Amino acid sequence: MNEMVKVDRRDAKLALAHIYVAFIALGLGGLAGLLQTLVRSGKFELPANISYYTILTTHGVLLGLVLTTFFIIGFQFAAVSRTAGTFSDRVRFWGWVGFWLMTVGTAITAFFILIGQASVLYTFYAPLQAHPGFYLGLTLVVVGSWVSGFAIFAHYARWKKEHPKQVSPLLTFMAVANMILWLVCSLGVAATVLIQLLPWSLGLVDRVNVLVSRTLFWYFGHPLVYFWLLPAYMVWYAIVPKIIGGKIFSDSLARLSFILFLFFSIPVGFHHQLMEPGIDPFWKYVQVVLTFMVAIPSLMTAFAMFATFELYGRSKGATGLFGWLRKLPWGDARFFAPFVGMVFFIPAGAGGLVNASHQLDQVVHNTIWITGHFHLTLATTVVLTFFGAAYWLVPHLSGRVMTKAMNRLAIIQTIVWVIGMTFMSGSMHFEGLLGAPRRSAFSTYGNSPQALEWIPYQIAQAVGGTILFIGIILVLIIITNLAFFAPKGETEFPVAEVAEGAERTPLAMENWKLWIGITVALILIAYTIPFIDMIQNAPPGSKGYKLW
Amino acid sequence: MAKEKMKGKATGEDNLKGTLASVFLLGFFLIFTWVSVYYLFLERL
Ligand code: HEM
Ligand SMILES: [Cu+2]
Repeated sequence: MNEMVKVDRRDAKLALAHIYVAFIALGLGGLAGLLQTLVRSGKFELPANISYYTILTTHGVLLGLVLTTFFIIGFQFAAVSRTAGTFSDRVRFWGWVGFWLMTVGTAITAFFILIGQASVLYTFYAPLQAHPGFYLGLTLVVVGSWVSGFAIFAHYARWKKEHPKQVSPLLTFMAVANMILWLVCSLGVAATVLIQLLPWSLGLVDRVNVLVSRTLFWYFGHPLVYFWLLPAYMVWYAIVPKIIGGKIFSDSLARLSFILFLFFSIPVGFHHQLMEPGIDPFWKYVQVVLTFMVAIPSLMTAFAMFATFELYGRSKGATGLFGWLRKLPWGDARFFAPFVGMVFFIPAGAGGLVNASHQLDQVVHNTIWITGHFHLTLATTVVLTFFGAAYWLVPHLSGRVMTKAMNRLAIIQTIVWVIGMTFMSGSMHFEGLLGAPRRSAFSTYGNSPQALEWIPYQIAQAVGGTILFIGIILVLIIITNLAFFAPKGETEFPVAEVAEGAERTPLAMENWKLWIGITVALILIAYTIPFIDMIQNAPPGSKGYKLW
Repeated sequence: MAKEKMKGKATGEDNLKGTLASVFLLGFFLIFTWVSVYYLFLERL
Protein backbone atom coordinates (compact mmCIF):
# COMPACT_ATOMS: atom_id res chain seq x y z
CA MET A 1 0.00 0.00 0.00
CA ASN A 2 1.08 3.55 -0.72
CA GLU A 3 2.92 5.22 2.14
CA MET A 4 1.03 8.48 2.21
CA VAL A 5 -2.51 7.19 2.24
CA LYS A 6 -4.42 9.86 4.12
CA VAL A 7 -7.59 9.63 6.13
CA ASP A 8 -10.26 11.60 4.29
CA ARG A 9 -10.66 15.08 5.77
CA ARG A 10 -14.32 14.57 6.68
CA ASP A 11 -13.51 11.30 8.45
CA ALA A 12 -10.58 13.04 10.12
CA LYS A 13 -12.92 15.62 11.64
CA LEU A 14 -15.08 12.88 13.10
CA ALA A 15 -12.09 11.10 14.63
CA LEU A 16 -10.61 14.34 15.96
CA ALA A 17 -13.88 15.32 17.67
CA HIS A 18 -13.68 12.12 19.71
CA ILE A 19 -10.03 12.70 20.56
CA TYR A 20 -10.69 16.24 21.79
CA VAL A 21 -13.32 15.01 24.24
CA ALA A 22 -10.94 12.28 25.41
CA PHE A 23 -8.17 14.74 26.24
CA ILE A 24 -10.51 17.20 27.96
CA ALA A 25 -11.61 14.28 30.14
CA LEU A 26 -7.95 13.51 30.82
CA GLY A 27 -7.32 17.04 32.10
CA LEU A 28 -10.34 17.18 34.39
CA GLY A 29 -10.02 13.60 35.59
CA GLY A 30 -6.31 14.04 36.22
CA LEU A 31 -7.02 17.02 38.44
CA ALA A 32 -9.42 14.88 40.47
CA GLY A 33 -6.72 12.20 40.75
CA LEU A 34 -4.23 14.73 42.08
CA LEU A 35 -6.73 15.87 44.71
CA GLN A 36 -7.32 12.25 45.78
CA THR A 37 -3.67 11.55 46.41
CA LEU A 38 -3.34 14.83 48.33
CA VAL A 39 -6.35 14.03 50.52
CA ARG A 40 -5.11 10.51 51.17
CA SER A 41 -1.73 11.84 52.31
CA GLY A 42 -3.47 13.41 55.30
CA LYS A 43 -1.90 16.80 54.62
CA PHE A 44 -4.76 18.37 52.70
CA GLU A 45 -8.53 18.65 52.94
CA LEU A 46 -11.00 19.34 50.18
CA PRO A 47 -12.43 22.86 50.40
CA ALA A 48 -16.08 23.84 50.66
CA ASN A 49 -17.36 20.53 51.97
CA ILE A 50 -16.72 18.77 48.67
CA SER A 51 -17.04 15.03 49.27
CA TYR A 52 -14.08 12.75 48.56
CA TYR A 53 -16.51 10.48 46.74
CA THR A 54 -17.67 13.22 44.40
CA ILE A 55 -14.06 13.63 43.34
CA LEU A 56 -13.40 9.89 43.11
CA THR A 57 -16.55 9.33 41.03
CA THR A 58 -15.50 12.14 38.70
CA HIS A 59 -12.05 10.60 38.35
CA GLY A 60 -13.27 7.06 37.69
CA VAL A 61 -16.01 8.04 35.25
CA LEU A 62 -13.97 10.58 33.28
CA LEU A 63 -10.83 8.46 32.99
CA GLY A 64 -12.13 4.90 33.15
CA LEU A 65 -15.20 5.40 30.98
CA VAL A 66 -15.08 8.68 29.02
CA LEU A 67 -11.41 9.10 28.07
CA THR A 68 -11.14 5.47 27.03
CA THR A 69 -14.37 5.12 25.05
CA PHE A 70 -13.92 8.38 23.17
CA PHE A 71 -10.27 7.82 22.31
CA ILE A 72 -10.91 4.24 21.22
CA ILE A 73 -13.84 5.03 18.98
CA GLY A 74 -12.04 8.02 17.47
CA PHE A 75 -8.89 5.98 16.88
CA GLN A 76 -10.85 3.09 15.36
CA PHE A 77 -12.77 5.39 13.03
CA ALA A 78 -9.46 6.75 11.78
CA ALA A 79 -7.90 3.29 11.49
CA VAL A 80 -10.87 1.85 9.58
CA SER A 81 -11.09 4.83 7.26
CA ARG A 82 -7.33 4.62 6.62
CA THR A 83 -7.24 0.90 5.89
CA ALA A 84 -10.68 0.10 4.45
CA GLY A 85 -11.23 3.38 2.62
CA THR A 86 -13.19 6.59 3.12
CA PHE A 87 -16.61 6.27 4.77
CA SER A 88 -19.82 6.71 2.84
CA ASP A 89 -21.84 9.78 3.82
CA ARG A 90 -24.26 7.52 5.64
CA VAL A 91 -21.62 5.81 7.74
CA ARG A 92 -20.09 9.17 8.60
CA PHE A 93 -23.52 10.60 9.48
CA TRP A 94 -24.15 7.76 11.92
CA GLY A 95 -20.67 8.23 13.31
CA TRP A 96 -21.61 11.80 14.19
CA VAL A 97 -24.92 10.66 15.69
CA GLY A 98 -22.92 8.27 17.89
CA PHE A 99 -20.52 11.04 18.84
CA TRP A 100 -23.26 13.45 19.90
CA LEU A 101 -25.19 10.81 21.83
CA MET A 102 -22.04 9.97 23.76
CA THR A 103 -21.13 13.61 24.31
CA VAL A 104 -24.56 14.66 25.53
CA GLY A 105 -24.69 11.56 27.73
CA THR A 106 -21.30 12.41 29.21
CA ALA A 107 -22.41 15.97 29.93
CA ILE A 108 -25.58 14.79 31.71
CA THR A 109 -23.69 12.23 33.79
CA ALA A 110 -20.94 14.70 34.68
CA PHE A 111 -23.53 17.28 35.71
CA PHE A 112 -25.18 14.96 38.23
CA ILE A 113 -21.83 13.83 39.60
CA LEU A 114 -20.58 17.38 40.04
CA ILE A 115 -23.72 18.62 41.81
CA GLY A 116 -23.13 15.77 44.26
CA GLN A 117 -26.20 13.72 43.34
CA ALA A 118 -24.33 10.69 42.03
CA SER A 119 -21.36 9.88 44.26
CA VAL A 120 -21.67 6.19 43.46
CA LEU A 121 -18.22 5.68 41.87
CA TYR A 122 -17.71 4.53 38.32
CA THR A 123 -18.95 1.03 39.15
CA PHE A 124 -22.30 2.38 40.51
CA TYR A 125 -22.85 -0.70 42.66
CA ALA A 126 -26.33 -1.07 44.12
CA PRO A 127 -27.52 -0.44 46.78
CA LEU A 128 -25.80 2.94 46.32
CA GLN A 129 -28.40 4.92 44.43
CA ALA A 130 -27.67 7.85 42.14
CA HIS A 131 -29.98 10.45 40.66
CA PRO A 132 -31.80 8.96 37.62
CA GLY A 133 -30.00 11.49 35.42
CA PHE A 134 -26.70 9.71 36.11
CA TYR A 135 -28.02 6.41 34.72
CA LEU A 136 -29.74 8.16 31.84
CA GLY A 137 -26.51 9.89 30.81
CA LEU A 138 -24.58 6.61 30.93
CA THR A 139 -27.27 4.97 28.82
CA LEU A 140 -26.80 7.62 26.15
CA VAL A 141 -23.03 7.03 26.20
CA VAL A 142 -23.52 3.29 25.66
CA VAL A 143 -26.20 3.72 22.98
CA GLY A 144 -23.97 6.23 21.19
CA SER A 145 -21.10 3.75 21.20
CA TRP A 146 -23.41 1.12 19.70
CA VAL A 147 -24.39 3.45 16.89
CA SER A 148 -20.70 4.02 16.14
CA GLY A 149 -20.06 0.28 16.35
CA PHE A 150 -22.72 -0.41 13.74
CA ALA A 151 -21.29 2.33 11.54
CA ILE A 152 -17.97 0.45 11.60
CA PHE A 153 -19.71 -2.89 10.90
CA ALA A 154 -21.54 -1.35 7.93
CA HIS A 155 -18.32 0.00 6.47
CA TYR A 156 -16.61 -3.34 6.95
CA ALA A 157 -19.51 -5.18 5.29
CA ARG A 158 -19.24 -2.88 2.28
CA TRP A 159 -15.51 -3.51 2.03
CA LYS A 160 -16.09 -7.28 2.12
CA LYS A 161 -18.70 -6.98 -0.62
CA GLU A 162 -16.38 -4.96 -2.82
CA HIS A 163 -13.44 -7.28 -2.18
CA PRO A 164 -14.83 -10.80 -2.39
CA LYS A 165 -12.49 -13.59 -1.27
CA GLN A 166 -9.98 -11.16 0.17
CA VAL A 167 -8.76 -10.92 3.73
CA SER A 168 -9.72 -7.59 5.27
CA PRO A 169 -7.03 -5.13 6.34
CA LEU A 170 -5.61 -6.08 9.74
CA LEU A 171 -6.54 -2.86 11.54
CA THR A 172 -10.10 -2.99 10.24
CA PHE A 173 -10.40 -6.62 11.33
CA MET A 174 -9.18 -5.69 14.79
CA ALA A 175 -11.54 -2.74 15.13
CA VAL A 176 -14.45 -4.97 14.14
CA ALA A 177 -13.41 -7.61 16.68
CA ASN A 178 -13.15 -5.01 19.41
CA MET A 179 -16.57 -3.53 18.62
CA ILE A 180 -18.15 -6.99 18.65
CA LEU A 181 -16.61 -7.57 22.07
CA TRP A 182 -17.97 -4.22 23.21
CA LEU A 183 -21.44 -4.87 21.85
CA VAL A 184 -21.77 -8.29 23.44
CA CYS A 185 -20.52 -7.16 26.84
CA SER A 186 -22.30 -3.81 27.07
CA LEU A 187 -25.63 -5.64 26.75
CA GLY A 188 -25.04 -6.64 30.37
CA VAL A 189 -24.57 -3.13 31.68
CA ALA A 190 -27.50 -1.92 29.59
CA ALA A 191 -29.64 -4.64 31.16
CA THR A 192 -28.82 -3.73 34.74
CA VAL A 193 -29.19 0.00 34.12
CA LEU A 194 -32.44 -0.15 32.15
CA ILE A 195 -34.18 -3.05 33.90
CA GLN A 196 -32.92 -2.60 37.46
CA LEU A 197 -31.23 0.68 38.37
CA LEU A 198 -33.14 3.29 36.40
CA PRO A 199 -36.65 2.13 37.45
CA TRP A 200 -35.40 1.79 41.03
CA SER A 201 -33.88 5.27 41.14
CA LEU A 202 -37.05 6.70 39.60
CA GLY A 203 -39.00 5.13 42.46
CA LEU A 204 -41.00 2.82 40.17
CA VAL A 205 -39.74 -0.16 42.14
CA ASP A 206 -38.66 -0.15 45.73
CA ARG A 207 -35.98 -2.81 45.90
CA VAL A 208 -33.16 -4.13 43.78
CA ASN A 209 -31.45 -7.52 43.54
CA VAL A 210 -27.91 -6.47 44.40
CA LEU A 211 -26.15 -9.68 43.39
CA VAL A 212 -27.80 -9.74 39.98
CA SER A 213 -26.87 -6.12 39.32
CA ARG A 214 -23.26 -6.67 40.35
CA THR A 215 -23.07 -9.81 38.24
CA LEU A 216 -24.42 -7.98 35.19
CA PHE A 217 -21.94 -5.19 35.88
CA TRP A 218 -18.95 -7.56 35.91
CA TYR A 219 -20.23 -9.46 32.90
CA PHE A 220 -19.55 -6.08 31.31
CA GLY A 221 -16.68 -4.89 33.53
CA HIS A 222 -14.03 -7.43 32.69
CA PRO A 223 -14.45 -7.34 28.90
CA LEU A 224 -14.43 -3.56 29.36
CA VAL A 225 -10.75 -3.79 30.27
CA TYR A 226 -10.12 -5.72 27.05
CA PHE A 227 -12.05 -3.12 25.12
CA TRP A 228 -9.43 -0.68 26.46
CA LEU A 229 -6.51 -2.97 25.84
CA LEU A 230 -7.22 -4.24 22.32
CA PRO A 231 -6.77 -0.83 20.65
CA ALA A 232 -3.37 -0.67 22.37
CA TYR A 233 -2.64 -4.09 20.86
CA MET A 234 -3.72 -2.72 17.47
CA VAL A 235 -0.95 -0.15 17.84
CA TRP A 236 1.58 -2.75 18.99
CA TYR A 237 0.82 -5.36 16.35
CA ALA A 238 0.05 -3.28 13.30
CA ILE A 239 1.63 0.16 13.76
CA VAL A 240 4.73 0.01 15.98
CA PRO A 241 6.51 -2.39 13.55
CA LYS A 242 6.15 0.24 10.82
CA ILE A 243 7.42 3.01 13.11
CA ILE A 244 10.61 1.11 13.89
CA GLY A 245 11.07 0.20 10.22
CA GLY A 246 10.26 -3.48 10.67
CA LYS A 247 7.45 -5.80 9.64
CA ILE A 248 4.49 -7.51 11.29
CA PHE A 249 5.77 -10.79 12.66
CA SER A 250 2.61 -12.69 11.75
CA ASP A 251 -0.75 -11.41 10.58
CA SER A 252 -2.50 -14.69 11.44
CA LEU A 253 -1.10 -14.72 14.95
CA ALA A 254 -2.37 -11.19 15.52
CA ARG A 255 -5.87 -12.08 14.31
CA LEU A 256 -5.94 -15.30 16.27
CA SER A 257 -5.04 -13.50 19.47
CA PHE A 258 -7.91 -11.05 18.95
CA ILE A 259 -10.34 -13.92 18.40
CA LEU A 260 -9.11 -15.60 21.59
CA PHE A 261 -9.63 -12.36 23.50
CA LEU A 262 -13.19 -12.27 22.20
CA PHE A 263 -13.76 -15.81 23.51
CA PHE A 264 -12.09 -15.55 26.90
CA SER A 265 -12.65 -12.01 28.07
CA ILE A 266 -16.41 -12.22 28.65
CA PRO A 267 -17.28 -15.42 30.55
CA VAL A 268 -14.94 -14.45 33.40
CA GLY A 269 -16.67 -11.68 35.37
CA PHE A 270 -16.82 -13.79 38.54
CA HIS A 271 -13.11 -13.19 39.09
CA HIS A 272 -14.24 -9.76 40.31
CA GLN A 273 -16.74 -11.42 42.63
CA LEU A 274 -14.59 -14.10 44.23
CA MET A 275 -15.20 -12.65 47.70
CA GLU A 276 -18.93 -12.35 47.13
CA PRO A 277 -21.39 -14.66 48.90
CA GLY A 278 -24.26 -16.16 46.94
CA ILE A 279 -22.26 -17.61 44.06
CA ASP A 280 -21.41 -21.31 44.13
CA PRO A 281 -17.61 -21.81 44.39
CA PHE A 282 -17.77 -24.28 41.52
CA TRP A 283 -18.86 -21.54 39.10
CA LYS A 284 -16.24 -19.19 40.44
CA TYR A 285 -13.73 -21.93 39.72
CA VAL A 286 -14.99 -22.40 36.14
CA GLN A 287 -14.64 -18.70 35.45
CA VAL A 288 -11.18 -18.55 37.02
CA VAL A 289 -10.07 -21.33 34.66
CA LEU A 290 -11.45 -19.35 31.72
CA THR A 291 -9.67 -16.27 33.08
CA PHE A 292 -6.33 -18.04 33.02
CA MET A 293 -6.97 -18.95 29.37
CA VAL A 294 -6.42 -15.26 28.64
CA ALA A 295 -2.77 -15.92 29.44
CA ILE A 296 -2.52 -17.64 26.05
CA PRO A 297 -3.23 -14.66 23.77
CA SER A 298 -1.38 -12.38 26.21
CA LEU A 299 1.79 -14.43 26.02
CA MET A 300 1.33 -14.77 22.24
CA THR A 301 1.36 -10.99 22.11
CA ALA A 302 4.47 -10.74 24.27
CA PHE A 303 6.21 -13.28 22.04
CA ALA A 304 5.19 -11.46 18.85
CA MET A 305 6.48 -8.14 20.20
CA PHE A 306 9.85 -9.52 21.28
CA ALA A 307 10.15 -11.27 17.91
CA THR A 308 9.28 -8.13 15.94
CA PHE A 309 11.96 -6.17 17.79
CA GLU A 310 14.58 -8.89 17.60
CA LEU A 311 14.04 -9.55 13.87
CA TYR A 312 14.33 -5.84 13.18
CA GLY A 313 17.43 -5.41 15.36
CA ARG A 314 19.16 -8.40 13.78
CA SER A 315 18.33 -7.15 10.29
CA LYS A 316 20.30 -4.05 11.30
CA GLY A 317 23.26 -6.19 12.29
CA ALA A 318 22.65 -6.61 16.00
CA THR A 319 24.57 -9.40 17.68
CA GLY A 320 24.50 -11.12 21.07
CA LEU A 321 21.46 -12.20 23.03
CA PHE A 322 19.98 -8.74 23.58
CA GLY A 323 21.98 -6.56 21.18
CA TRP A 324 18.81 -5.92 19.11
CA LEU A 325 17.45 -3.76 21.93
CA ARG A 326 20.08 -1.15 21.13
CA LYS A 327 18.92 -0.83 17.52
CA LEU A 328 15.44 0.37 18.42
CA PRO A 329 14.56 4.05 17.78
CA TRP A 330 14.68 5.28 21.35
CA GLY A 331 14.51 8.94 20.35
CA ASP A 332 11.16 8.59 18.57
CA ALA A 333 8.23 9.28 20.93
CA ARG A 334 5.86 7.36 18.63
CA PHE A 335 7.89 4.28 19.54
CA PHE A 336 9.13 5.17 23.02
CA ALA A 337 5.76 5.84 24.68
CA PRO A 338 4.09 2.57 23.55
CA PHE A 339 7.26 0.63 24.29
CA VAL A 340 7.29 1.86 27.88
CA GLY A 341 3.62 0.87 28.00
CA MET A 342 4.60 -2.67 26.98
CA VAL A 343 7.28 -2.85 29.67
CA PHE A 344 4.80 -1.82 32.35
CA PHE A 345 2.46 -4.54 31.19
CA ILE A 346 4.86 -7.10 32.67
CA PRO A 347 4.32 -6.17 36.36
CA ALA A 348 0.70 -5.38 35.49
CA GLY A 349 0.13 -8.88 34.14
CA ALA A 350 1.91 -10.45 37.10
CA GLY A 351 -0.41 -8.57 39.45
CA GLY A 352 -3.38 -9.72 37.39
CA LEU A 353 -2.46 -13.38 37.93
CA VAL A 354 -2.48 -12.70 41.67
CA ASN A 355 -5.86 -10.95 41.53
CA ALA A 356 -7.44 -13.78 39.58
CA SER A 357 -6.34 -16.52 41.99
CA HIS A 358 -9.08 -17.05 44.54
CA GLN A 359 -6.83 -17.45 47.60
CA LEU A 360 -4.44 -14.68 46.66
CA ASP A 361 -7.36 -12.39 46.00
CA GLN A 362 -8.16 -12.75 49.69
CA VAL A 363 -4.86 -10.99 50.37
CA VAL A 364 -5.45 -8.06 48.01
CA HIS A 365 -9.21 -7.75 47.54
CA ASN A 366 -10.51 -4.19 47.93
CA THR A 367 -7.10 -2.97 49.01
CA ILE A 368 -5.27 -0.15 47.29
CA TRP A 369 -3.16 -2.88 45.58
CA ILE A 370 -6.04 -3.15 43.11
CA THR A 371 -5.87 0.55 42.35
CA GLY A 372 -2.11 0.19 41.91
CA HIS A 373 -2.77 -2.69 39.50
CA PHE A 374 -5.06 -0.84 37.12
CA HIS A 375 -2.95 2.28 37.15
CA LEU A 376 -0.35 0.00 35.56
CA THR A 377 -2.66 -1.71 33.08
CA LEU A 378 -4.96 1.13 32.14
CA ALA A 379 -3.29 4.31 33.34
CA THR A 380 0.15 3.31 32.04
CA THR A 381 0.13 0.53 29.44
CA VAL A 382 -3.04 1.61 27.65
CA VAL A 383 -2.73 5.34 28.23
CA LEU A 384 0.94 5.63 27.19
CA THR A 385 0.16 3.63 24.06
CA PHE A 386 -2.71 6.02 23.29
CA PHE A 387 -0.42 9.00 23.88
CA GLY A 388 2.15 7.45 21.55
CA ALA A 389 -0.55 6.93 18.92
CA ALA A 390 -1.83 10.49 19.35
CA TYR A 391 1.65 11.81 18.52
CA TRP A 392 1.18 10.81 14.89
CA LEU A 393 -2.62 10.46 14.72
CA VAL A 394 -3.49 14.00 15.81
CA PRO A 395 -1.09 15.72 13.38
CA HIS A 396 -2.14 13.31 10.61
CA LEU A 397 -5.75 14.29 11.14
CA SER A 398 -5.11 18.00 11.66
CA GLY A 399 -2.74 18.29 8.68
CA ARG A 400 0.30 19.26 10.73
CA VAL A 401 3.68 17.84 11.68
CA MET A 402 5.29 17.19 15.03
CA THR A 403 8.38 19.31 15.54
CA LYS A 404 11.62 18.00 17.03
CA ALA A 405 10.97 20.07 20.14
CA MET A 406 7.54 18.49 20.63
CA ASN A 407 8.99 15.03 20.10
CA ARG A 408 11.52 15.77 22.83
CA LEU A 409 8.80 17.01 25.13
CA ALA A 410 6.89 13.78 24.44
CA ILE A 411 9.94 11.72 25.44
CA ILE A 412 10.19 13.77 28.64
CA GLN A 413 6.45 13.31 29.20
CA THR A 414 6.90 9.55 29.03
CA ILE A 415 9.76 9.61 31.51
CA VAL A 416 7.78 11.84 33.87
CA TRP A 417 4.93 9.33 33.69
CA VAL A 418 7.29 6.45 34.46
CA ILE A 419 8.69 8.20 37.54
CA GLY A 420 5.30 9.35 38.83
CA MET A 421 3.67 5.99 38.28
CA THR A 422 6.53 4.03 39.80
CA PHE A 423 6.09 6.05 42.97
CA MET A 424 2.30 6.02 42.99
CA SER A 425 1.51 2.53 41.78
CA GLY A 426 4.50 0.96 43.53
CA SER A 427 3.49 2.34 46.90
CA MET A 428 -0.14 1.41 46.24
CA HIS A 429 0.92 -2.20 45.70
CA PHE A 430 2.98 -2.40 48.90
CA GLU A 431 0.44 -0.50 50.97
CA GLY A 432 -2.25 -2.85 49.71
CA LEU A 433 -0.28 -5.88 50.86
CA LEU A 434 -0.31 -4.25 54.31
CA GLY A 435 -4.10 -4.18 54.16
CA ALA A 436 -4.87 -0.54 53.31
CA PRO A 437 -8.31 -0.16 51.74
CA ARG A 438 -8.98 1.41 48.37
CA ARG A 439 -11.75 3.98 47.88
CA SER A 440 -11.20 5.77 51.16
CA ALA A 441 -10.07 9.23 52.15
CA PHE A 442 -7.49 9.77 54.87
CA SER A 443 -8.11 8.18 58.26
CA THR A 444 -5.93 6.81 61.03
CA TYR A 445 -8.78 4.58 62.15
CA GLY A 446 -8.49 5.72 65.77
CA ASN A 447 -4.68 5.65 65.60
CA SER A 448 -4.62 1.92 65.00
CA PRO A 449 -0.97 0.83 64.63
CA GLN A 450 -1.75 -0.91 61.35
CA ALA A 451 -3.26 2.22 59.81
CA LEU A 452 -0.32 4.34 60.98
CA GLU A 453 1.98 2.02 58.99
CA TRP A 454 0.21 3.09 55.82
CA ILE A 455 0.90 6.80 56.05
CA PRO A 456 4.42 6.86 54.50
CA TYR A 457 3.04 4.99 51.49
CA GLN A 458 0.24 7.51 51.16
CA ILE A 459 2.74 10.34 51.16
CA ALA A 460 4.69 8.55 48.42
CA GLN A 461 1.44 8.32 46.46
CA ALA A 462 0.92 12.06 46.76
CA VAL A 463 4.45 12.66 45.47
CA GLY A 464 3.83 10.26 42.58
CA GLY A 465 0.40 11.78 41.91
CA THR A 466 1.87 15.26 41.70
CA ILE A 467 4.52 14.11 39.22
CA LEU A 468 1.82 12.35 37.18
CA PHE A 469 -0.25 15.49 37.10
CA ILE A 470 2.74 17.32 35.61
CA GLY A 471 2.79 14.52 33.03
CA ILE A 472 -0.84 15.25 32.20
CA ILE A 473 -0.11 18.96 31.73
CA LEU A 474 2.77 18.06 29.40
CA VAL A 475 0.69 15.75 27.23
CA LEU A 476 -2.08 18.34 27.01
CA ILE A 477 0.47 20.92 25.83
CA ILE A 478 1.72 18.49 23.18
CA ILE A 479 -1.75 17.54 21.95
CA THR A 480 -2.93 21.16 21.81
CA ASN A 481 0.17 22.01 19.83
CA LEU A 482 -0.33 19.11 17.40
CA ALA A 483 -4.00 19.92 16.91
CA PHE A 484 -3.82 23.70 16.51
CA PHE A 485 -0.33 25.21 16.44
CA ALA A 486 2.24 22.86 14.92
CA PRO A 487 3.55 23.69 11.42
CA LYS A 488 1.26 22.62 8.58
CA GLY A 489 2.34 19.55 6.68
CA GLU A 490 1.78 15.89 6.02
CA THR A 491 2.22 13.30 8.75
CA GLU A 492 2.22 9.61 7.96
CA PHE A 493 -0.42 7.26 9.40
CA PRO A 494 1.92 4.28 9.86
CA VAL A 495 0.53 0.87 8.92
CA ALA A 496 2.97 -2.01 8.92
CA GLU A 497 3.26 -4.74 6.31
CA VAL A 498 3.60 -8.43 6.98
CA ALA A 499 7.08 -9.95 6.99
CA GLU A 500 7.99 -11.63 3.69
CA GLY A 501 7.63 -15.33 3.89
CA ALA A 502 5.06 -15.21 6.70
CA GLU A 503 2.21 -17.65 6.19
CA ARG A 504 -0.76 -16.31 4.20
CA THR A 505 -3.71 -15.39 6.40
CA PRO A 506 -6.51 -17.91 5.91
CA LEU A 507 -9.91 -16.45 4.95
CA ALA A 508 -11.49 -18.61 7.66
CA MET A 509 -10.17 -16.08 10.16
CA GLU A 510 -13.19 -13.96 9.28
CA ASN A 511 -15.82 -16.50 10.10
CA TRP A 512 -17.59 -14.12 12.48
CA LYS A 513 -20.68 -16.29 12.78
CA LEU A 514 -18.55 -19.06 14.22
CA TRP A 515 -16.58 -16.76 16.51
CA ILE A 516 -19.72 -15.11 17.87
CA GLY A 517 -21.33 -18.55 18.25
CA ILE A 518 -18.42 -19.80 20.35
CA THR A 519 -18.42 -16.59 22.39
CA VAL A 520 -22.12 -16.94 23.16
CA ALA A 521 -21.75 -20.64 23.98
CA LEU A 522 -18.95 -19.90 26.47
CA ILE A 523 -21.03 -17.17 28.07
CA LEU A 524 -24.01 -19.49 28.42
CA ILE A 525 -21.86 -22.23 29.93
CA ALA A 526 -20.26 -19.89 32.45
CA TYR A 527 -23.30 -17.90 33.49
CA THR A 528 -26.63 -19.72 32.95
CA ILE A 529 -26.79 -21.93 36.03
CA PRO A 530 -25.34 -19.48 38.58
CA PHE A 531 -27.53 -16.71 37.19
CA ILE A 532 -30.72 -18.75 37.51
CA ASP A 533 -29.60 -19.59 41.03
CA MET A 534 -29.24 -15.89 41.89
CA ILE A 535 -32.76 -15.14 40.75
CA GLN A 536 -34.45 -18.21 42.19
CA ASN A 537 -32.80 -17.93 45.59
CA ALA A 538 -32.86 -14.17 45.77
CA PRO A 539 -33.12 -12.35 49.09
CA PRO A 540 -35.83 -9.66 49.37
CA GLY A 541 -33.70 -7.05 47.62
CA SER A 542 -32.38 -3.77 48.90
CA LYS A 543 -33.71 -0.26 49.14
CA GLY A 544 -31.50 2.48 47.72
CA TYR A 545 -28.93 4.27 49.83
CA LYS A 546 -27.69 7.78 49.31
CA LEU A 547 -24.71 8.30 51.57
CA TRP A 548 -24.41 12.02 50.91
CA MET B 1 9.50 -17.31 7.99
CA ALA B 2 10.38 -19.27 4.91
CA LYS B 3 10.36 -22.99 5.50
CA GLU B 4 13.88 -23.78 4.29
CA LYS B 5 15.36 -21.28 6.73
CA MET B 6 13.70 -22.98 9.66
CA LYS B 7 15.98 -25.99 9.34
CA GLY B 8 19.42 -26.11 10.82
CA LYS B 9 21.14 -23.57 12.96
CA ALA B 10 19.43 -20.20 13.14
CA THR B 11 21.79 -17.52 12.01
CA GLY B 12 21.74 -13.78 11.43
CA GLU B 13 18.33 -12.37 10.77
CA ASP B 14 16.33 -15.44 11.66
CA ASN B 15 17.86 -15.83 15.07
CA LEU B 16 15.17 -15.50 17.75
CA LYS B 17 17.27 -16.50 20.73
CA GLY B 18 16.75 -13.15 22.43
CA THR B 19 12.99 -13.64 22.12
CA LEU B 20 13.27 -17.09 23.69
CA ALA B 21 15.33 -15.71 26.56
CA SER B 22 12.92 -12.81 27.00
CA VAL B 23 9.81 -14.95 27.25
CA PHE B 24 11.58 -17.20 29.76
CA LEU B 25 12.54 -14.22 31.89
CA LEU B 26 8.96 -12.99 31.65
CA GLY B 27 7.66 -16.39 32.74
CA PHE B 28 10.02 -16.53 35.71
CA PHE B 29 8.98 -13.07 36.80
CA LEU B 30 5.29 -14.04 36.67
CA ILE B 31 5.94 -17.15 38.74
CA PHE B 32 8.10 -15.26 41.22
CA THR B 33 5.40 -12.63 41.86
CA TRP B 34 2.69 -15.22 42.24
CA VAL B 35 4.70 -17.34 44.67
CA SER B 36 5.65 -14.28 46.76
CA VAL B 37 2.03 -13.34 47.36
CA TYR B 38 1.17 -16.99 47.90
CA TYR B 39 3.69 -17.10 50.77
CA LEU B 40 2.13 -13.98 52.22
CA PHE B 41 -1.23 -15.74 52.05
CA LEU B 42 0.12 -18.83 53.81
CA GLU B 43 1.77 -16.73 56.48
CA ARG B 44 -1.50 -15.01 57.28
CA LEU B 45 -3.68 -18.14 57.36
C1 HEM C 1 -2.59 12.37 37.64
C2 HEM C 1 -2.77 11.10 37.40
C3 HEM C 1 -3.55 10.20 38.31
C4 HEM C 1 -3.60 10.19 39.68
C5 HEM C 1 -2.85 11.08 40.64
C6 HEM C 1 -4.53 9.15 40.06
C7 HEM C 1 -4.84 8.81 41.36
C8 HEM C 1 -5.80 7.91 41.76
C9 HEM C 1 -6.09 7.48 43.10
C10 HEM C 1 -5.37 7.99 44.33
C11 HEM C 1 -7.12 6.60 43.06
C12 HEM C 1 -7.74 5.80 44.18
C13 HEM C 1 -8.38 6.53 45.25
C14 HEM C 1 -9.11 5.63 46.21
O1 HEM C 1 -9.34 4.43 45.94
O2 HEM C 1 -9.49 6.15 47.27
C15 HEM C 1 -7.50 6.47 41.69
C16 HEM C 1 -8.53 5.67 41.24
C17 HEM C 1 -8.80 5.44 39.91
N1 HEM C 1 -8.08 5.90 38.82
FE1 HEM C 1 -6.54 7.22 38.88
N2 HEM C 1 -5.02 8.55 38.94
C18 HEM C 1 -4.44 9.16 37.85
C19 HEM C 1 -4.63 8.86 36.52
C20 HEM C 1 -5.56 7.95 36.07
C21 HEM C 1 -5.75 7.61 34.71
C22 HEM C 1 -4.98 8.19 33.54
C23 HEM C 1 -6.76 6.69 34.68
C24 HEM C 1 -7.39 5.98 33.52
C25 HEM C 1 -7.17 6.18 32.27
C26 HEM C 1 -7.20 6.46 36.02
C27 HEM C 1 -8.22 5.63 36.39
C28 HEM C 1 -8.67 5.42 37.67
C29 HEM C 1 -9.82 4.63 38.03
C30 HEM C 1 -10.75 3.89 37.06
C31 HEM C 1 -9.90 4.64 39.43
C32 HEM C 1 -10.91 3.90 40.28
C33 HEM C 1 -11.91 4.77 40.91
C34 HEM C 1 -12.72 4.00 41.90
O3 HEM C 1 -12.17 3.17 42.67
O4 HEM C 1 -13.94 4.19 41.91
N3 HEM C 1 -6.43 7.23 36.85
N4 HEM C 1 -6.68 7.25 40.89
CU1 LIG D 1 -11.23 -8.71 35.30
